[in-house]
Amino acid sequence: MSTIKEYLTSDHRKCDEIFAQMEEKAGNSLLDAKELTNNFIDDMERHFQMEERVMFPEFEARTGMTEGPTAMMKLEHMQMRNLMQSLLEALSTDDKDKFFSVSETLMILLQQHNMKEEQMLYPMAQQHLSSQSENIVMMMDSMIVQ
Amino acid sequence: MDQAPPISAPLRFFLTAPIFGIIAGILMLLSDSQTLVNRYSIDAIIITHAITIGVFSFVIFGALTQMLPVLTGTKIVKVKLVTTLSYYMFIVGLFAMIVGLKFMLPLFTTSAYLLLGGGFFLMIASIANALRSVNNFTATVKGMVASLVFAFFVTLLGIMMLFDYASGEIGERHYIYANIHSVWAIFGFSGLLIIGVAFQVLPMFYVAPHFKRFCKKRVVALISIGLFIWLVLNSFYDEYTLYSKLWIATFFWAFATTVWIKFNKRKRSVVDVTVWYWRAASIFLTLGSFLWIFDEFFKHEYIVMVAILIGGGFVLSIMIGMLYKIVPFLVWFHLNGMGYMKIPTINEMIDKDLAKIQFVLLILSIIGFVFSFYIPKLLAPSSSFFIISMLILEYNILAPAFVYRRTIKTKPDFDMSLFKMGN
Repeated sequence: MSTIKEYLTSDHRKCDEIFAQMEEKAGNSLLDAKELTNNFIDDMERHFQMEERVMFPEFEARTGMTEGPTAMMKLEHMQMRNLMQSLLEALSTDDKDKFFSVSETLMILLQQHNMKEEQMLYPMAQQHLSSQSENIVMMMDSMIVQ
Repeated sequence: MDQAPPISAPLRFFLTAPIFGIIAGILMLLSDSQTLVNRYSIDAIIITHAITIGVFSFVIFGALTQMLPVLTGTKIVKVKLVTTLSYYMFIVGLFAMIVGLKFMLPLFTTSAYLLLGGGFFLMIASIANALRSVNNFTATVKGMVASLVFAFFVTLLGIMMLFDYASGEIGERHYIYANIHSVWAIFGFSGLLIIGVAFQVLPMFYVAPHFKRFCKKRVVALISIGLFIWLVLNSFYDEYTLYSKLWIATFFWAFATTVWIKFNKRKRSVVDVTVWYWRAASIFLTLGSFLWIFDEFFKHEYIVMVAILIGGGFVLSIMIGMLYKIVPFLVWFHLNGMGYMKIPTINEMIDKDLAKIQFVLLILSIIGFVFSFYIPKLLAPSSSFFIISMLILEYNILAPAFVYRRTIKTKPDFDMSLFKMGN
């Protein structure tokens, strides 16, 4: 069984790969990229919810830090959700320039967000939640997206 | 984790860097290739430092100020004070150095080593202090630490050499210091930092394959050891210096090749000017590394060419590529974080066609500088290309800064409701 850090980090890489496939398809035609864009957004939403509904509350309960790193990460999730909404708008208007402009911004925001999580938050979470690590990973893995 | 410095802290370094590039270009235009071929000529020293301090160090310190919280989870204490103080010390110190050396004015040269030394030590100490609290000691952090160690010695040697100029006593020791200063600055301070950051940036931003465990665990240490061995051999057993140069050059060439391969295997298919810059940097680093070895057999006749290829072709390319990503993102991130939603995306803030022209002009200028070694007439057009390239770069990174200022002033759509959960 993976640790919280390993599980969520590997999920980041999975989302990155779908993102790359989505961009490649969109390079040919936005219409062809619709399915991959939806897959990417679904996977991202699932990742956000695994954190917001499972890992973050456990971390906050254990450390008492409700306005600390998790609040900042939730804020960045919202920024990314807004950008993903713009991706869908670009798809619906078949605006390739807008699509790639938004995807580039999203990519940089996403990666600097991932770096913060992988360098700081996940190691902190692993440290504070080591005894429940297996359970938390199981809960995240079996979570149904709302 | 909300440790991002105020936008002015990194931005002022970034926006000033191309201006020193323009100054360096004008100085090259006013000089001649016969003078610049001699690395110890005053013109060559002034131009080199306008670029290495004015452009490279400004971009490095701006980037470290911004990236430290993201890459290491730490921040510079009193970041605004530290960056403002060091910024002005660098500016005044660099102008004092240029004037002091050019017109042989000891008062200016003395001011230069006090101010530049103060500025560098202040930044190095502040970053080192921040790095003390790092919990997760990644390959990138190791690269940063090694780079800072070399930066410390490079600064120390720089101060000692400026002191020699101020006192008018330039002995044999001065030239040994100059050699160590330049090799450690390029390969140690800049090179190791670029390698350390590349370990993180390439796989993440370009979805390229991760660097091998051996690279991440050992390469920074192996290059650092190579640079210390080079120091000993170069200072005491010069006939064996070649072996340590082979050691260092092999790792840098391997890095250049690895970067090229990583870009071939990257999963993101998008090609932009930053990809061109990484590729150009790989080519120039490979050529520069080989020429650095070759130069050993020709009594250092080609050392200025090596400096152009590695300094201009490799380091400058990476830095400009990074500026094109980091400056518009900084603006977007700060504005979006304040609740401004209808702002241009980072691609819309930069004129992509101008960025391509800027890239071509820079590459032409670097090739021209290399060949002006044989064809002196090439220096003037190459310098002109370089100046125009830096002017375009300044325009392109000023554009996002203007978007920031305009948005803050006009407050077009301040709307925090978009941040509400479940929106």
